[in-house]
Amino acid sequence: MSETVITFQNVTKKFAFQSQKTFKEFLPALIRGEETSKGFTALDNISFEIKKGESVGIIGPNGSGKSTILKLIAGVMSPTTGKIQVKGQISPLIELGAGMHPELTGRENIYLNGAILGLKRKQIDANLQSIIDFSEIAEFIDQPVKHYSSGMYMRLAFAIAIHVNPEILIVDEILAVGDDAFQKKCFRKMEEFKRNKITIIFVSHSLEQVKMFCDKAIYINHSKLISQGEVDNVCQEYEQTINKK
Amino acid sequence: MPGVTNGVRVKFSSFQSLVNCYKDQSHKKVFGDKIFRTIKASTCFQNQSWMVYNELMLAIVKEIRDIIKWRELLAQMVGREVKARYKQSILGYFWIILNPLAQMLVMSFAFSIILRIPTNATGNIPYSVFLFVALLPWTLFANSLSSACSSLVNSASLITKVYFPRTILVLSTVSAKMIDFALALSVLVIYMIVYQLPVTLNILWVIPIFLIQQIFTMGLSLFFAAANLLYRDIQYLLSLLLVLWMYVTPVIYPADLVPEKYQLVFQLNPMAVIINAYRQTVLGGGMPNLLSISIALAVSLLVLLIGFAYFKSREKIFSDNI
Repeated sequence: MSETVITFQNVTKKFAFQSQKTFKEFLPALIRGEETSKGFTALDNISFEIKKGESVGIIGPNGSGKSTILKLIAGVMSPTTGKIQVKGQISPLIELGAGMHPELTGRENIYLNGAILGLKRKQIDANLQSIIDFSEIAEFIDQPVKHYSSGMYMRLAFAIAIHVNPEILIVDEILAVGDDAFQKKCFRKMEEFKRNKITIIFVSHSLEQVKMFCDKAIYINHSKLISQGEVDNVCQEYEQTINKK
Repeated sequence: MPGVTNGVRVKFSSFQSLVNCYKDQSHKKVFGDKIFRTIKASTCFQNQSWMVYNELMLAIVKEIRDIIKWRELLAQMVGREVKARYKQSILGYFWIILNPLAQMLVMSFAFSIILRIPTNATGNIPYSVFLFVALLPWTLFANSLSSACSSLVNSASLITKVYFPRTILVLSTVSAKMIDFALALSVLVIYMIVYQLPVTLNILWVIPIFLIQQIFTMGLSLFFAAANLLYRDIQYLLSLLLVLWMYVTPVIYPADLVPEKYQLVFQLNPMAVIINAYRQTVLGGGMPNLLSISIALAVSLLVLLIGFAYFKSREKIFSDNI
């Protein structure tokens, strides 16, 4: 029995929006004692567990709360109520290279992003060649990143993230940008991670990719957890809901 | 806000019953129950403030440990600030020196040739040096604050995606400005050599004074960065505040011009004390006023504590609100 690395216990996440847009509206409302903010529930009482070495796909339509779950796992947000436990080094691959500075060169960005993901300088030195090789952009590595195409951006970001030696890898939609050859390469790398018992959380709108790669899936709709379990069952349920509409 | 009014009312009523109890010692038996409750409530309140204090100290220790753990990121972030700023500019790093130099020349012209501000009793110091000694640390202060203020907002994409101690974002901007300051300082050194200004060992006082300045800057930076993330009005307010603040600080005029009755306000403004102390030690060759410096240190530490506590209390909702 492998250990649980991620636990969500009755997690609810609410966002507050200011209902009055301007100060002119806000001040009278405050004096009258009206509510100045209204809540929006992004996640409603969600519980699940992810065990070490599992590959879990999170599926659901746009705005259902998938990214919020990833942000909660990555620790950049805290839940409104409920409890979250995460064990292990996380490498988040949420959207394209969040820490990239457009004016810096690819090489400088490798060091910067490596540090953001918690790597030591020595570790980056040791992995530098391997990162450049994986990203396949060796000839542009000393160019400012602002001249890169979005595909090159993503290659570099992915190459850095997989060299963090994560215990938990979070992959959010990013594979959509790369060409087929690079996507295949990424999946090969992720298969390798899977064999090495690294937990992978995978968010994609492509059910094919989820079915092909994940063992389990979590289906979320309208902030609520609809179903979880074996990937084929969950995907089937999701497909049925789509077809009904 | 019903919660707040309730809280105030409760505190007020318990305070009043406490006063009543002290007034009427003879009614002690009748009010026995009430005394007991009041005392319990007040000790409870004391415990709470003790807990808040304890929590704050723990948070500080934890933050320092985190920053040490993430020191490589701090170094990379400082590098990013310094490296990226003057990319695609012809003069590059030369701007760091050119900027304060040009500012100093313009202001010297305005205030020594047109307005003729007296530089103080020590006499034969040229106004440009007199100004520069104060202008450099003031520029460091103003630049640090205004860029720290927008540091969190500018790193929105990082804050919503990756976890690392958020104080690093503020700390790195403040540190990057210190590198600018060190470069600009070389101009002052050259200037002083050219004018052959006498320097005594008291110039070493500059180090503790500088530390106090950075403590004060860091405290304000943490506060403004967190506040600006929640309300963008803060950055506009800050730029207005900085202009006003420069005029109540003896940057362009000597501290002795401050009238006696405003001396207290002057003492409570750490920047005024700090700027004045730089002049006393670098140009005057004397000791700084130790009492004023101690007050400045106390105020700065207090500001750092408050700034840090505010930053920490808002940290959890950063990524929700950015």
